[in-house]
Amino acid sequence: MSKRIATLVALLALLAAACGNAGTDSNATGGGGNAPTGTATATDLTRKVPVDQPGVTDTEIRVGGVVSKTNPLGGNYDDAFDGVRAYFEMINAQGGIYGRRLVLAAERDDQVVNNQQEVQALISQDKVFAILPVATLLFTGADLAATSGTPTFGWTINPEWAGPPNLFGDRGGELCFDCPTPVVPWLAKDAGAKKVAVLAYNVPQSKRCAEGIIASFRRWPTAEVAFQDLALSYGVTDFSVQVGKMKQAGVELVTTCMDLNGVTNLARELDKQQLSAVQYMPNAYDHDFAKRFADLVEGSLVLTWFAPFEVPDPPEGTKRYFEWIDRTGGTRSELSMSGWLAADLFYRGLVAAGPEFTQQKVIDAINTFDNWTADGSIPGVDWTIAHKQRPPLSCGAISRIDNGGFVPLYGEAGRPFICFDVEADQLPDRPEPTAGATR
Amino acid sequence: MSELLISVIRGIPVGCVFALMATGIVLTYKTSGVFNLAFGAQAFVSAAVYYELVIRRSWPSGAALVVAVIVVGPMLGLVLDRLLYRHLRSARTLPKLVVSLGLLVAIPQTVKLWFGSGSAFNPPGVIRSDYVLRVGEISLDTNQLVTIAITAASVAVLTVLFRSTNLGLQMRAVVESARMAELNGVNADRVGSVSWMFSSLLAALAGVLLAPLFAQISEVHFFTLLVAALAAAAFGRLSSIPLTLAGGLALGVLQATLAGYLPSDSVLAQGLRPSLPFLALFLLLLFWPGLRQPRELSDPLGGVDPPPPAPPAAIRNRTVVLATRGVVIGFVAGASVLALTTLDPFWTSVVTKGVILGTIFLSFVILTGLSGQISLCQATFAAVGAFTVARVVELTGVSVLTALLVGAAVSAAVGALIALPAIRLGGIHLALATLALALMFEYVVRPLDLVSGGFHPPRVPRPQIGSIDFTDDRVFFVLTLVLATTVSLLVWAWKRGATGRTLDAVRGSEIAASSVGINPFGSKVLAFSLSAGIAGLGGGLLASFEGRVNYDANYTFFFGLVWVVLVVTLGSRSIPAAITAGVAFMAFPRLLGLVGLDQSMSQAVAFILFGLGAVTYAKHPEGIVEAHTRASLAWAVRKLAPDRRPLAGEHPPPERAVRSAHVGAGR
Repeated sequence: MSKRIATLVALLALLAAACGNAGTDSNATGGGGNAPTGTATATDLTRKVPVDQPGVTDTEIRVGGVVSKTNPLGGNYDDAFDGVRAYFEMINAQGGIYGRRLVLAAERDDQVVNNQQEVQALISQDKVFAILPVATLLFTGADLAATSGTPTFGWTINPEWAGPPNLFGDRGGELCFDCPTPVVPWLAKDAGAKKVAVLAYNVPQSKRCAEGIIASFRRWPTAEVAFQDLALSYGVTDFSVQVGKMKQAGVELVTTCMDLNGVTNLARELDKQQLSAVQYMPNAYDHDFAKRFADLVEGSLVLTWFAPFEVPDPPEGTKRYFEWIDRTGGTRSELSMSGWLAADLFYRGLVAAGPEFTQQKVIDAINTFDNWTADGSIPGVDWTIAHKQRPPLSCGAISRIDNGGFVPLYGEAGRPFICFDVEADQLPDRPEPTAGATR
Repeated sequence: MSELLISVIRGIPVGCVFALMATGIVLTYKTSGVFNLAFGAQAFVSAAVYYELVIRRSWPSGAALVVAVIVVGPMLGLVLDRLLYRHLRSARTLPKLVVSLGLLVAIPQTVKLWFGSGSAFNPPGVIRSDYVLRVGEISLDTNQLVTIAITAASVAVLTVLFRSTNLGLQMRAVVESARMAELNGVNADRVGSVSWMFSSLLAALAGVLLAPLFAQISEVHFFTLLVAALAAAAFGRLSSIPLTLAGGLALGVLQATLAGYLPSDSVLAQGLRPSLPFLALFLLLLFWPGLRQPRELSDPLGGVDPPPPAPPAAIRNRTVVLATRGVVIGFVAGASVLALTTLDPFWTSVVTKGVILGTIFLSFVILTGLSGQISLCQATFAAVGAFTVARVVELTGVSVLTALLVGAAVSAAVGALIALPAIRLGGIHLALATLALALMFEYVVRPLDLVSGGFHPPRVPRPQIGSIDFTDDRVFFVLTLVLATTVSLLVWAWKRGATGRTLDAVRGSEIAASSVGINPFGSKVLAFSLSAGIAGLGGGLLASFEGRVNYDANYTFFFGLVWVVLVVTLGSRSIPAAITAGVAFMAFPRLLGLVGLDQSMSQAVAFILFGLGAVTYAKHPEGIVEAHTRASLAWAVRKLAPDRRPLAGEHPPPERAVRSAHVGAGR
């Protein structure tokens, strides 16, 4: 595979992360969360009626997913299957739903470049009721999934998630890659950094992300962008010139729109040139990565759109994730959490659709959820607007890499997230930690 | 210390990285005549072994280094020599390049079968130390210091080897003419093996040494470094080790200086810096003395070999030709009807995309099959066609079918523009120039919003003709068949007509062709342009089928490399082979899945088989499809008419051979 594809995943992931998370007012009430609109009653959940839908038999509701298991950069994308399996085990242990078991019947590997064919296979060969999880570097099958009307759930790193009403990304659909977001300016303010540096590759995804960050500092001028280089070539291994200039400029915070190779090489050079600037790495919530590069990335800041696993008193949803991912032998990771979230939203949609569920009813039901939080695991997605609009609040959780692990910052026990009003003129001194609608 | 001096010094470590990879390329080329694009893949093997031993099996670094570099590296070289390259020693550059491309595809996939494709973070360095040398504003860590030292040592050793030792002389002699070397008492086989073991040792060393430059082990990184280092190899004229070192250092220093002096938000910086290695390569190929007049390495005693069989498709007897065509037409018609009536949407999609790729692959029939040129940027031409279709439809609202023709025309024009400076290079140099252009397109042109429309892959709708709506996949399949057939007929007509005969003549002898009034340069430019146009048409069709220009899934430069391997292996002169290659590229991995192979493994196995298929190129330069067609026809004719004359290219039975020889001698 080409280098471009190899690097794309990290860029997309970090861009998605850097753009913040879909969220609504954490105090809002409404259809999402634990009590989605139209929720079936306990009796309904066990009531079995004949359903003539793809993938639905008398005993099973069959779904299938596609991940980029085989890809040139490594990365354990099949962890997403672990998350779905764990969630389904949990539901099936409670007797399933509508007299049927939830079954992950197809686990496909798109090998990066075959996404469209694999989505086609899920629809026409595996005849699944829903597609989940989707954890792929490219989502070329998005149009196919959209036009087929199959409910589709997955890891939102691709722009194709935006728009169609049946595509449900784990942090909403609309990702604005170059919109100003308050997170980084606030981090600079909080860290007391007066001068920041922004680095990006010379490709649209990376460059737009960096331009978004620069625009953020223009909108909320908490620090000066003292150095920027948006013309780095893919595969760059040497940052000595850039770090030398950062040092001259007195940079105290570095934010990047690069893949893991870029951020580790940058960290290595910062270390070599003894520049003690903090690095903000939106897409580095990877325990193996933090452990392996513990010395280099010590003190760096990481953003997640879900509650980090290390938070004290984790949300109910995260506790259940721990319990069932461990029981089923899965791996705790960002991607298995993504799979878990996909399964959660799917299940809630099924519940809301009622015993005589159809694909369309599930889609319609989810699109009425105005605050889906997966029992507090995420800050909340308003599916009444999330397909097409940027959420009014940008929410997430910040962690610091410390001794090869992650230490959650800013949140409190039971309230792991911080949110910012993207329309606000002024940044708060310290945003109120929130838990999402369910807490 | 002045800023310029600091920039220069900062460029040296990365310059050494380029120099090490480029030295490996030059060493292999000097000692085997192979332009070994698989050098990065060989480096990946040892890097993976070293990682496996040190990180996963907790071996001491020293022991792991010995196994990964001293044992595995040379062993791999020995295997490559014994199984492959020994049999290619007298072959020309093209077959050797194709085989190396095949290995580039096959080796990493083979390694991943045991190494796995999950994350392999933080590759360990050769010396695990936190020491950093600091002089003023310059800081060099242990790994950089070791890289500089080993690069310098490698260059010194290789220079001495080639200039002052008998072994170095023998290595070069065997490449020039194995037979002549043997006449002088040199054991060519043994020297050849030593050459490969030596170059593979350098690849292994580079793999272990350079792996820590990246966050995790991946073959992609080594290939990336390799293509970036090609300019250094070109600077060394593919022969001089010291000049290659100088080229690598110059490249590193230039990069650092541009990064230090060009304003990072300037258009110049954003265009020049990412493309510098490839622009340098292209310019060197065009203007660097020693590369401007390419010299093919060829054995002066190669004439003692029996001549290769004449291109069989051109001289088969008429009955056989008609029979072959009948079979092909019948098969295609039958397969199409079968596809339309029995295939489910998944397989319809697979076959449709396969036929579209087959249409793109027809571009190789013109360029490689007829004109004898090799291009590594056919995927780029396909992308040009696709992006053009998207933009034309978006901006003008014309029908997609019209836009497809515009896309083909633009691709053809781009092809002609590229051919004007590049075509005279020929052989390996043209291949490198086209690779450089493909990389420049990928790194500089494609990211432009003007071209790609920004972050979202641009949409290309399905066509509509009157009441016929091609939104349905089966209907689109029919359109694909019609277009593929039309292009096939065009290519066939060009092959049979004046264009094909002109290109055949130029391919045979440019001087002879010139003597009868043919303009070789114009003919080659025409072939390049026609070929680019076909690729552009196919690229646009593919975008329409998928609904978007999915560049990363279909058109990256790496696809261009795989396509060359596949088409040349199956038969670059044959229209059915091109279509077969397209369908095989899409269907073969899925068929492997049907016979029970794990899905994640099926693609790897398919790539391994495609890659290893290139190995047969030396034996069957006409391609596997053509070879099998000949063998099948010979078998059929033998059965039907035992007492007949042998077909072209077929070995006659012994008694007949003797008679023929006598007749020939009598003449």
